[in-house]
Amino acid sequence: MSGAALSVETAPRTARQARDPLFLLGSAIVVLSLVLMVIGPWIAPYDVGRPTDDIAVPPPDLAEVPGLLYAVITGAPHEPIHWFGTDTAGLDVFSRVIAAPRTDVAIALGANLASLVLGSLLGLLAGTARPWLGALEMRLSDLVQAFPVFITGMILVTLAGRSFTTIVLTLALLYTPIYVRLTRAEVLTQRHRGFVDAARALGKGEAFLALRHVLPNALAPALIQASVTVGFAILMTAGLSFVGAGVRPPAPEWGLMIAAGADQIIQGEWWTSVFPGLAISLTVFGYACFGNGLERRHAR
Amino acid sequence: MTGFVARRLATALLQLVGLALVVFFAIRLLPADPVARLVGQNASREAYLASQHALGLDRPVLTQFGAYLGALPGASGLLQGDFGTSWVTGEPVAKEIGRALPVTLELITISFVLAFILSVPLGMLCALKPGGAADNATFGYSLFAGSQPEFWWGLLFIYFFFAIMGWAPAPLGRLDPLSTAPPAVTGLITIDSLLAGNMAAFSDGLHHLMLPVLTKVFVLSGPIVKMVRQNMVRVLGSDYVLFARASGLPPGRIARMALKNALAPALTLLGVLYGYILGGAVLIETVFSLPGIGSYAVRSVLAFDYPAIQAVVLVIAAVSLFVYLALDIVHALLDPRLAS
Amino acid sequence: MPAEPLLSVRGLSVGFHGAIAVDAVDLDVMPGEILGLTGDSGAGKSTLGLALLGLTRPPGKLLGGHVTLEGEDLLALPEDELRKRRGSRIGLIVQNPRGALSPLHTVGGQIGGVLRAHLPLGRKGAWQRAVELLRGLGLNDPARRAEAYPHEISGGMAQRVLIAMALGAGPRLLVADEPTSGLDVTIQAQFLDELARAARAAQSAVLLMTQDLGIIANYCDRVAVMQQGRVLAPMSVRDFFAAPPDEYSRTLLSLRREAPPAPPAQETPLLVAKDLSKRFTLRGSGKVLQAVDRVELTLHRGETLGLVGESGSGKTTVGRCLLRLVEPSGGSIEFEGQDLVTLKPAELRRLRKRVQIVFQDPFDALDPRWTAAEILGEALEKRDPARIAELLALVDLPATTAAQHPRSLSAGAQQRLSIARAIAAEPMLIVLDEPTSALTPLARVGIVRLLRRLQEKLGTAYLFISHDLNTVEQLSHRVAVMYLGQIVEQGSRVQIFEAPRHPYARALLAAHLAPDPARRRIDRAPEAALAGEIPSPVDLPRGCYLAGRCPQAQEACRTTPQRLIALPDGRALRCAPEAARAMNTEPTLIAGGVLT
Repeated sequence: MSGAALSVETAPRTARQARDPLFLLGSAIVVLSLVLMVIGPWIAPYDVGRPTDDIAVPPPDLAEVPGLLYAVITGAPHEPIHWFGTDTAGLDVFSRVIAAPRTDVAIALGANLASLVLGSLLGLLAGTARPWLGALEMRLSDLVQAFPVFITGMILVTLAGRSFTTIVLTLALLYTPIYVRLTRAEVLTQRHRGFVDAARALGKGEAFLALRHVLPNALAPALIQASVTVGFAILMTAGLSFVGAGVRPPAPEWGLMIAAGADQIIQGEWWTSVFPGLAISLTVFGYACFGNGLERRHAR
Repeated sequence: MTGFVARRLATALLQLVGLALVVFFAIRLLPADPVARLVGQNASREAYLASQHALGLDRPVLTQFGAYLGALPGASGLLQGDFGTSWVTGEPVAKEIGRALPVTLELITISFVLAFILSVPLGMLCALKPGGAADNATFGYSLFAGSQPEFWWGLLFIYFFFAIMGWAPAPLGRLDPLSTAPPAVTGLITIDSLLAGNMAAFSDGLHHLMLPVLTKVFVLSGPIVKMVRQNMVRVLGSDYVLFARASGLPPGRIARMALKNALAPALTLLGVLYGYILGGAVLIETVFSLPGIGSYAVRSVLAFDYPAIQAVVLVIAAVSLFVYLALDIVHALLDPRLAS
Repeated sequence: MPAEPLLSVRGLSVGFHGAIAVDAVDLDVMPGEILGLTGDSGAGKSTLGLALLGLTRPPGKLLGGHVTLEGEDLLALPEDELRKRRGSRIGLIVQNPRGALSPLHTVGGQIGGVLRAHLPLGRKGAWQRAVELLRGLGLNDPARRAEAYPHEISGGMAQRVLIAMALGAGPRLLVADEPTSGLDVTIQAQFLDELARAARAAQSAVLLMTQDLGIIANYCDRVAVMQQGRVLAPMSVRDFFAAPPDEYSRTLLSLRREAPPAPPAQETPLLVAKDLSKRFTLRGSGKVLQAVDRVELTLHRGETLGLVGESGSGKTTVGRCLLRLVEPSGGSIEFEGQDLVTLKPAELRRLRKRVQIVFQDPFDALDPRWTAAEILGEALEKRDPARIAELLALVDLPATTAAQHPRSLSAGAQQRLSIARAIAAEPMLIVLDEPTSALTPLARVGIVRLLRRLQEKLGTAYLFISHDLNTVEQLSHRVAVMYLGQIVEQGSRVQIFEAPRHPYARALLAAHLAPDPARRRIDRAPEAALAGEIPSPVDLPRGCYLAGRCPQAQEACRTTPQRLIALPDGRALRCAPEAARAMNTEPTLIAGGVLT
């Protein structure tokens, strides 16, 4: 056979993509965020809801950190440590930062899971069902997507009652059209692929074709999108609570914590806002890197 | 081309009609009680009913919708271009939005243009040597900038440039309380102050824009750099650029051709992005206490001010659709494949 | 031949991240000659072509060597000097012509741009010159064509625009890299005629790089073979075809003059399609596109019917209709005594496996998420490893393939897997829809041999759909020619290939470039070609569909729709005047159908 064919153009690219540092970083952050979502509140050193006696204590100097770490590890007697300081109510910032994924990441994940499942099934329907049904679905998606995302989220969450569930449902509603669109576009390509016709020629039924051949091959773009959208959902969850239209205080939530510290930052008490913001910044960046890495892998 | 524009305009109009419908009914379906919010939880039953009647909320929903549209005799509504009056201030909503919208448009348009001017060369630099060190660094930056909480960065910038360095003014609005605002003509402080020849207000206005614009440009540069890079990589790797080189075209002419091919499809995406950040202006305005449409939206939503909420959604959607449409038309002018 | 070469390449090498794509190539091109360069895909032809102009596709690098054009080493020149030579002294034509034009600029502007880069012309002058060049290349209404954007013109026309750009500044050497890939047979021949003529008129030499030995035989003076980055010494075309110098060329030419295995002596009809039609309603305009128009087909057990025609002729739709992958709009398909068109879905599903299909793009035809064993298992009643191993062996794939995904197989191996899946269902008929068109020449030979062997062994009938007349000749017992959804002529392989009767079939076969230098197209006067362009299938003429282009059209042809007329020698012909002529001269035809 044509063993002589030189694959000069693909070989170096695969080698380069194998080591994608951003993807590794992203994966690590994603895993960490998921772990903290599950165990964050349990491993927090202080109760996230009960103020301590230390009001607005700054975090320890960088120079003290090694000594304090040593003390913690060896179990030597030491003063109570607030790694990230405490806020004006005396709440331990570190505990709240690592407990917050139970809210932020869980909302983002829940909303995306719901919209991914709903959206890809609707997308499959829109791509395979009768044309008028597909057209109707697309017009509805257009309509939902014409809404300004953040403001609509604010309205729905506030009027429906600010809670974990309403935020999840609101975000799921706003994100579903993204997945409908992506899946439908991919279904429309995949259903005309040769292997679908080949299976049809083998006497397979239409439902079998849609579920065994078309959908599995059409899911990749939606899954890649999901890993990026989870990040954006975290941004939105935090943003909503930042403007007072998200979860209610005193829940440990990154956006609420930034808002709580916003007034102090001008007076130099930077830590109450900086650490939760850093957590958002790194987490969302991690999900973006993860999604980007997945996309590159898929394109290969 | 005319058909293309007409078709797009018709679609956009239809979408706005659908939007108006959905907003109106959606907020009435949700379990919120605007009357209770207005009169307070402890108000008497009579006060509650009186307020409900005053707001017209005791009428059937369809009648309310008729009034909203302006289809009922004797009252004006949406069809007459009347958004109604705010339940909180009693002022016409259109007037309030007329004051707020220019503030937001000024901020994001300036940020958008600056971000674009900065991002295009960066994206092109990446594309010149894909996979090189500059490309990897810039690409990492664009991923990072595109995934940042802008309200937090706004606070960081305030902390650094105002609290520590003292370079920026206090994040408390569009102008210093002591400076006199120019008479509103366009509503855009920069332009109005120039029109009035008020250079003090002009420079004070720019000064107050410094940090919000910096924040916006930072987060906006992420997606724009990524997009320019992607398009430019595709174009530079295309057969027509290779063939142009093989035909001995001078580098300058090839660069112009590549730029046109790379930026034309970016226009549509820029349109989407503009709408997205217009809707997301809430956060940056909250941080810097800017009296824009975002702040107005927060106030209205938290106060359950239905006429204002309906109007805000419609106006933002309309502006977004208009910008999107305009950029799409420019794209179609550049790319003959679209209009046919 | 003058002793001094026009172009002299010495030790030219190009690498991609360490892999050597062009390996120390030596090559001379003489003034005014057409030198062919052939070789399998991936041999490095395109890379070499670019390297002659000092270019590489990123991340490729020129590793060294000399390219001496008219005594001047191009690679030693500074970049700006080299740029001035490109297009003015050495021109390039590439494959995928539409991709080689900027989609946002008019073709006239792009030709003018090249002219202005090399000649002292203003914008206006360059435009006029561009229009002149297009006129010289046989485009009608060139002034209007120049205003067009690349997406508005056909592939053949785009290719002529590239010639205008490459030859406009009068280079002495033209490098043409697969200039006709993707073009239809008749357009390909026209284009190559024009290329040869234009080069001759400009006194340019041509380095013609192609996988198609038919093109080499018909147009080149000398030919060199490229393999894995190396170029073997060129030789004259006649010597090359008389005694191919290397294994690769010998393999490719081994199928020449080798008739396919004989069909069963007794003709038993297996599938009879009558009045088969397919109309598509176009979205938006609501116009009706007649893709298949009252097609009559009979396939016998164990035989191969070749179905040929140019793009848009409806041949693929016919194949899909036979499996009802596309629902026919009318007609009947009688298969083993049942009409497939009126069959209920459940029965159709059962009967479907008796007719299988193999597609053009093998990668597209295999679910990328499934392993070879799973793919074959889908075609079997139960997934039996022994049967899967047997099937793999039948198509010459190693047993280890079973665990592999399509992605890790070569295109040839993917196509073998596709064929294995088709025969796994033990069909009576396989529709082969351009199964060799996406493959390299070497893989193509392997598939042709495999198909022949399987037919001998299993007695499966084939409907072989292809635009590649060489492969059709190698596989078919009978051939049907399609034009605009209709079968215009049907007959035995010998009848169609040796003595086609329908004016369209004649034009098609005249444009056929056989890998045989005995009757070179470049040496003979072009036969009466068809005028103009194919009418749009949404707006068909009332009478004969060919009447507008046919040199022998009579008044009646334009008004009377043509029927398929059966001739005594076994052909069927959709041309009344030609059929009448055939009846009158019948004595010269022997029963077998060979013209004496």
